[in-house]
Amino acid sequence: MSDNHIDRKVLSDLQEVMEDGYLYLLETFLSDSEERLSQLHEAKDAEELGLAAHSFKGSTGNMGAMVLAELCQQLEERVKQRPLYGIEDLINRIDREYAAVRQLYCAERQRILIG
Amino acid sequence: MSSQDVLTVLIAEDSATDRLLLAAIVQKQGHQVLMAENGEQAVALFAAQRPHLVLLDALMPVMDGFEAARTIKLLAGETLVPVIFLTSLSEEEALVRCLEAGGDDFLAKPYSQVILAAKIKAMERMRRLQATVLEQRDQLAHHHRHLLNEQRVAKAVFDKVAHAGCLDSPNIRFLQSPYALFNGDLMLAAFTPSGDMHVLLGDFTGHGLPAAVGAMPLAEVFYGMTAKGYGLAETLREMNAKLKRILPVDMFCCAVLLNVSFQRRTVEVWNGGMPDAYLLRATGGEPLPLVSHFLPLGVLPPEQFDDHTQVVPMAVGDRLFLLSDGVVDTRDENEQLFGAERLRQVLIANQVPGQLFEDIQAALAHFGGQPRDDVSMMDLCMVESHALSLPPLTYTDSGQSSPLDWSLHLEFRAESLKRFNPLPFLLHLLQEIHGLRVRSGELHSVLSELYSNALEHGVLALDSRLKRDACGFTEYYRERNRRLQALQEGYIRVGLQVEPLASGGRLTIEVEDSGAGFDVESVLGCSRAGQGFFGRGLSLIRGLSQQAQWLDGGRRACVVFVWVSEA
Amino acid sequence: MAVESELSQDGKLTIRVKGRFDFGRHMEFRGSYERLQSVPRCVVVDLKEATYLDSSALGMLLLLRDHMGGDKSQVSMVNVGSDVRKILAISNFDKLFDIS
Repeated sequence: MSDNHIDRKVLSDLQEVMEDGYLYLLETFLSDSEERLSQLHEAKDAEELGLAAHSFKGSTGNMGAMVLAELCQQLEERVKQRPLYGIEDLINRIDREYAAVRQLYCAERQRILIG
Repeated sequence: MSSQDVLTVLIAEDSATDRLLLAAIVQKQGHQVLMAENGEQAVALFAAQRPHLVLLDALMPVMDGFEAARTIKLLAGETLVPVIFLTSLSEEEALVRCLEAGGDDFLAKPYSQVILAAKIKAMERMRRLQATVLEQRDQLAHHHRHLLNEQRVAKAVFDKVAHAGCLDSPNIRFLQSPYALFNGDLMLAAFTPSGDMHVLLGDFTGHGLPAAVGAMPLAEVFYGMTAKGYGLAETLREMNAKLKRILPVDMFCCAVLLNVSFQRRTVEVWNGGMPDAYLLRATGGEPLPLVSHFLPLGVLPPEQFDDHTQVVPMAVGDRLFLLSDGVVDTRDENEQLFGAERLRQVLIANQVPGQLFEDIQAALAHFGGQPRDDVSMMDLCMVESHALSLPPLTYTDSGQSSPLDWSLHLEFRAESLKRFNPLPFLLHLLQEIHGLRVRSGELHSVLSELYSNALEHGVLALDSRLKRDACGFTEYYRERNRRLQALQEGYIRVGLQVEPLASGGRLTIEVEDSGAGFDVESVLGCSRAGQGFFGRGLSLIRGLSQQAQWLDGGRRACVVFVWVSEA
Repeated sequence: MAVESELSQDGKLTIRVKGRFDFGRHMEFRGSYERLQSVPRCVVVDLKEATYLDSSALGMLLLLRDHMGGDKSQVSMVNVGSDVRKILAISNFDKLFDIS
């Protein structure tokens, strides 16, 4: 797995800022992200979809998942242009990217847990 | 970090990750954190805990950041609570919405510790500045209210003093700003015991409280000495000495003082530093300026003070017009002065005496000057003496213990005659006679006449025929001053004798002088024709007393007052 | 500077007041003679460029006179324009100061 999914510099900064809270931040992000993803899939209209994309973009950006944040940004822009034709494709790419980074964050969590 | 640098920061952010991260960053900088998941929670937390700074996500469920910001700003009122919007919004429109909702700054995601710390510091500086400004504004407002209240109290006290006088007499019109006291403008008027009127228009240096503080002692001297029967010269000397003693070097009072005698139909004037006052003849013609010849009150030490007055005859219907420098000093937009000449034109053009102030104000308005709040004017008319009702005199004792059988003889010699006015002293003595108190005005008039006759025609040998016309009048008083200053010898003897009678008593006043006397028969004969000022004085004495005669070839006057006991 | 001053070798202080001579000049005017090491021999107040003079200016002149020794002081005013001269005449300050 290529490391360009996550900005390692961001992660080390986060660890420094959060100190003992770092582990909790990782766990919060993981559960938060599951929620955002289900919001993406269950959105009833363009507005809900846009809001979820915007919110997900914010937290993924903060966590250093730069590719995922970029995809969320694209989605946020895309929903403003009707018709929404082809938008499922973008959501699928977000799903795949998340699956990839999720493993990295889990590994990071494991690393901290072991200490 | 000292405790006062620790801020309470409210973070409202719906994303748990971002909230957690932001809280950690803020706490790491030493601040306390309150957390909300949406706008509604944020508003509730703000209302309850009043944090110093608010970090708001723009897009949140339940209530968004825009509405929350507006509500928080409303709750904060005048206190500055900086709101920083947390946003990755990139469109201009959204940023404008943040500003319109009251946002003070933005923080973009992903968060940077360094930038956030800098922004919190900047906002804190702004917040403190605003707090300081508000605090100073409140202090200023407090001081201002305090000052206004002090002015109100000072004005109330002062009005009690100022209105103890007779400014409300029917022959006086005056115009004065309600804030005149704080412009340093002062207007006083009071009757002397003999029914003359003393008038003062004064103008203290400067404005505000410093200008007002001198007014009280000045008014006190003015009223006190006028009521006791002192003349202008003594009153002036005392006012000058008092102001010189109490005021700092750079403060003084320009003043014009009048003694208007309705019985003699004269006005005695002293003007130190005020603009020309004017005598306006009932018959019209050129107004006679009463020019400032002296330094203001409070400048010169007592020994250098010049109390020379000018006496001018008046006829019934003649008027005296006094004004403060606010009139002639009014300037138009080119810094041009209204000036004395324009005023003179208005005085000449005035047709209806009662409209003079209005004419002057119209002329000032037409001139285009900035309206000033320190324009004081007074218009005083010479009337028949019986047209004015004198206030009743008040006494401090019941009169039960008045002595009723005594006599007193005094001799005033040259040095005393130069400097001393014995009339207040004599009048004070005679106030002890209870039965004569209601006639103390008449007593004072008679005593004044007798004394000035003895001094001017006896000791100083002045010829009253000089006073035939206005020109001779001026000459007469100039000569009076000259001869009085040069006086080496001479005397005036005053004898008072009080005897009880079966139902009341009798006062005999004798005034004798060292002069050459006069031809009693011819002068008294002349006075019956009502000619000459000397004649007028003598007939006044005869009219007011029970009996008046001149003995020893006119050198000794003997006047009798008889009273009937009320009991 | 609305108030300029200059001390000559022989101890004559010249104070020039420009524009309105009123309370706003108070500090400058007092400073012009109070900051000197010793009391000057005489003072000349040059009013050539003074456009107006109010009663607080008269007060300042009295302060200066007092500082210079009161009755023994040597304070004169020069280049007095007609408006300013009128104000000085009404208050009879020519009795206290040498005005030319």
